[in-house]
Amino acid sequence: MMVRFRPTILRQYLLQGQLPTTGCLRSQARLPCIAARNRGAYLLSYAPVRAIHSESTPTASNGPADPAFVPLRKLLKDEAKKQKLSGKKKKKNANNQVVEGWELTVGIEIHAQLNTAKKLFSGATTSFNDHPNTHVAYFDLAIPGSQPVFQKETLIPALRAALALNCDIQQVSTFDRKHYFHWDQPSGYQITQYYEPFARNGVITLQARDGIAVEDGEGISVGIKQIQMEQDTAKTLAQLDNVHWVDFNRVGVPLIEIITLPEIHHPATAAALVKKVQVLLRAVDACVSGMEAGGLRADVNVSVRRSDDPSAPLGQRTEIKNLSSFKAVEDAIIAERDRQIAVLESGGTIASETRGWSIGSTETRRLRGKEGEVDYRYMPDPDLAPIVIGEDLVQHLRETMGELPDAEVDGLIEDFKLTPKDARSLVGLNSGMGVEYFWNVVDALKHRLGSSSLADNLPCYQLAANWILHEFGKLWFDEHEDDAARDFGFTEDGQCARVPVDHLADILFFLYRSQITSRIAKEILWAVFRGRVPAEYASVRDVIDTEDLWFRELSDAEYAALADEAVKGQESVVRVFMEKQEKYPQGKLMFLVGRMMRLGPEERIDPRSAERVMRERIEERYIPRLRGE
Amino acid sequence: MSTYVRHSHIRAVQRGIIPRWRPGTLHHRSLHQEVRPGHPDTGAGVDHGSVKDNIAVKGFPTTCASKILAGNEIPFEATIVTQLRGQGFDVVSKTGMDEFGMGTHSTTSAFENICNVPPLEKYSAGGSSGGSAVAVRSGLADLALGTDTGGSVRMPAAYTETVGFKPSYGMLSRWGVVPYANSLDTVGLLAQTVGKIRTAVIGRGLYKEHDYRDPTSIPISVRERCTAQREGYDCFTPSLATLTLQGLTFGVPLEYNIEELDPRIRQGWSDACEEIQSLGARVVPVSLPMTKNALSAYYVIAPAEASSNLAKYDGIRYGHRDNEGTSDTVDGILYARTRSTGFGNEVKRRILQGTYTLSSEAMDNYFIQAQKVRRLVRRDFDRIFKLANPLHDEQAFDLSDMDDSVKLENKLGPTQVDFILAPTAPTPPPLLEDVLNQTPLDSYMNDVFTVPASLAGLPAISIPMDIPVNRNSEEEQLLNFGGLQVIGQYWDDARVLAVADRFAGHVSRRMKNKIRELVGSEYR
Repeated sequence: MMVRFRPTILRQYLLQGQLPTTGCLRSQARLPCIAARNRGAYLLSYAPVRAIHSESTPTASNGPADPAFVPLRKLLKDEAKKQKLSGKKKKKNANNQVVEGWELTVGIEIHAQLNTAKKLFSGATTSFNDHPNTHVAYFDLAIPGSQPVFQKETLIPALRAALALNCDIQQVSTFDRKHYFHWDQPSGYQITQYYEPFARNGVITLQARDGIAVEDGEGISVGIKQIQMEQDTAKTLAQLDNVHWVDFNRVGVPLIEIITLPEIHHPATAAALVKKVQVLLRAVDACVSGMEAGGLRADVNVSVRRSDDPSAPLGQRTEIKNLSSFKAVEDAIIAERDRQIAVLESGGTIASETRGWSIGSTETRRLRGKEGEVDYRYMPDPDLAPIVIGEDLVQHLRETMGELPDAEVDGLIEDFKLTPKDARSLVGLNSGMGVEYFWNVVDALKHRLGSSSLADNLPCYQLAANWILHEFGKLWFDEHEDDAARDFGFTEDGQCARVPVDHLADILFFLYRSQITSRIAKEILWAVFRGRVPAEYASVRDVIDTEDLWFRELSDAEYAALADEAVKGQESVVRVFMEKQEKYPQGKLMFLVGRMMRLGPEERIDPRSAERVMRERIEERYIPRLRGE
Repeated sequence: MSTYVRHSHIRAVQRGIIPRWRPGTLHHRSLHQEVRPGHPDTGAGVDHGSVKDNIAVKGFPTTCASKILAGNEIPFEATIVTQLRGQGFDVVSKTGMDEFGMGTHSTTSAFENICNVPPLEKYSAGGSSGGSAVAVRSGLADLALGTDTGGSVRMPAAYTETVGFKPSYGMLSRWGVVPYANSLDTVGLLAQTVGKIRTAVIGRGLYKEHDYRDPTSIPISVRERCTAQREGYDCFTPSLATLTLQGLTFGVPLEYNIEELDPRIRQGWSDACEEIQSLGARVVPVSLPMTKNALSAYYVIAPAEASSNLAKYDGIRYGHRDNEGTSDTVDGILYARTRSTGFGNEVKRRILQGTYTLSSEAMDNYFIQAQKVRRLVRRDFDRIFKLANPLHDEQAFDLSDMDDSVKLENKLGPTQVDFILAPTAPTPPPLLEDVLNQTPLDSYMNDVFTVPASLAGLPAISIPMDIPVNRNSEEEQLLNFGGLQVIGQYWDDARVLAVADRFAGHVSRRMKNKIRELVGSEYR
């Protein structure tokens, strides 16, 4: 940052032309004015000493700026390891939402990358993980003489986001320059909407099922102060020896910044809000990548005050920058709340400052205080005209936006009697592609069941939801594989490459009609998933026919014979049934049933029948036999 | 009359004008020759153009006369340069200037001090487009491009006895023009005669050209609407015979008669008014009460925008980088030293000034106030021009709002005029020696007559004007001219150029000769 002059000196200098005897202006006079072109100063080859920049860079405030990319999963693993080593047990967050005698207040700023083809002010295309510095226009690099040209198509996803968050779209909005120096910001300023943002006065409604704190009851509303469009910064790739590589592909990519009112009072609710915003933005196609991919970042403002005087003003707030996971949001708020309370209780005061948080830590850390704050010197951009948004465009987008996730969740609970948790998971599955798939499976089942009424075959549809949510997940070997790596090949229109709709409908239909057993159904699902249908078998029916997997249930006599075989050598187990007990030894019974299943032809065994017969055999045959009757 | 550039050998030229190198030769004509007879304005043949060094030209570096951009080449060409090439101009040189356009005398360049043409080499050539004015005056260029932010084309024209035109804001594309203060910057043109500029802008249709790469370039539909409300665009003829001043009213702003106005300039202005009256026009006093605040507003807005625009010069992606010294240490800053050694004092002064006026504590008192003044300046102009400003809804002016000094013509209000007639600079060109000893504030004062039109985005032209000479004073005989400015309503560029063309030969003997030389008998 520039040398700071006292205002009096600056004023003297500016208005009376008097220079202090030291300082940069004076020293300049001694330097010879020789114009030597500095050939060494190429973009990425600067000497290591120059590349060092202290923590206090203002870049943190500017959306996703990641000095070194570490996958989230690795961060979480490292965190777990650290916890284990330290032997410290953290208090569970669910039990740590409130501190007696204190009220917490939180406001959140969320930066999200818009889903657009072009950058905000240049015709360069947006890209993810493409070759560095291949999508860069003159303006993106701040080449002198180049100018910004607003790409109006970027407004569409921004408006969708604003509508999803129930904002008033502003008919006229303007762009401003926010000044600070950092190598990821070629022009020395970021173009944002400070004075006149394009959307204001929104609201986001959070329900219990969104994962808010229990203390917030059934649901709460949090006001959205404003949403603004702005430019992303370049991406810094940290190298060894303090060298930083800069990829300008990301510079100028459009972001929206969503600013909530300070109306959140519980850490879990704050995390739920960020999560909900992500779901909403994906649902309306405003954003493509979520927090885990670095497409969404949150800054939180935290303050506390004693809860005995509700008329007291809010306490001094601090800001925690650049939180990159939902858990980090909740953990950082808890840590900062506790720190502030500890400071106040010991008679101290809270300083206005910017703090940082690293995943896995238990404390926030100070980045810079008020004296280190950058004066961003917001100035209307003199090259950019105001954006005028017509009511017709807003109306059109409103009408074509489709059902928002909340309404869809409500529908699933209503129509299929799913649990709120399952309904929410289904809607959130694979960015909404999972629920489209579900609807296709429901249609295919209706066709097979010959009834279009949902109520007639409700358990069958519930089975479908259950399988998509729970059985699909078991198909992967590595349980720790994160969601992003589990590619089922879902598509926007609800198809699935690994488990085609018709195959799943067949399996579920036969299972629902008790024509195959649950075990067999799951095995066929596995075969479908591995591509053996259609590679080796033409269809699901063909698998069952060829392998003779149809459920032709054993007769009671056959079950009895199987039960006898299963009991062989298990006298000690049978003996348990003889003893008079408070509770029937169901566990032991199921152990014996399990043996029956393993010994017999499983595709012909219904576990319920096997259980019934086994129970009868024990009662009628083995107990009397043991008693010597 | 001698037209040598001082010393008139290559080294001197190089210092003032950066020529394009071609294998073995310097591509410009010898400066020892007399001014060659110009082409008739409508004639064919290759015209030579010079371009200010803050405008990108293929094959030339673009340095803005700043060390921080030493050797820098912009990888694309400015739209205006391409357009002029399309009109048959051959760009023969880049011209020197004040660093980043910040200055009034072309003395803040990192590379050179530009001086007026002999025998005035001890005098200021004006700034910031001083190099362009010298190129035109010395005959090196038939037409030169400059930029005018607060008078940077008009001022050098006034000091070199040439013509300098600042078009309406948004008429000519700024793509490829390195910005100083975007909301004020315009590309300006300099030539020996008004006709040359008129032909390029109106006759050959530069005014029609929208550039999608410049977001402040007026869109085609608005150009057509504005043009439809104006005269002089569709009936362009280079001939002066058909132009009449009959029925036109020129306003002389009372506020421009300042104490600092040189008595000879005042007399020249007054004489010019009489000449113009004798040609059939009406000349009336008008009042522009915001004039005294305009200069302060300008020197808040321009540095504020400049401090923002110049933030990009960090020496990382292009231009000068200072690799010596210790500023880039662990706790240091990547740019401090580069910016400290790369910028000159005037640029640093304006960066600091702009940084201060935009700071959160000063914003309301400076930047916001200045923007309000800017609106009032525009209102002043809208009030006195007969034509409405096509970019703003017509406002009714309440007479009670008006300053007492505004004279009412009748019960409907004050006199309304077609053009404003004012001096360009308060004095003839000053001695460079004196200029260097001036405080920044003194030199800012020079812009008092040019800044209002810039703030309002209006077209303005400076043409030479004769001033009285004391036969006993050698200096006065040398400096026998001033600059006369004609300001018109927004998009009235065609008429501003036409009337200036019409009476240029009547207010300046040099112009009379020049025009005779160029168009011969056509001139009455």
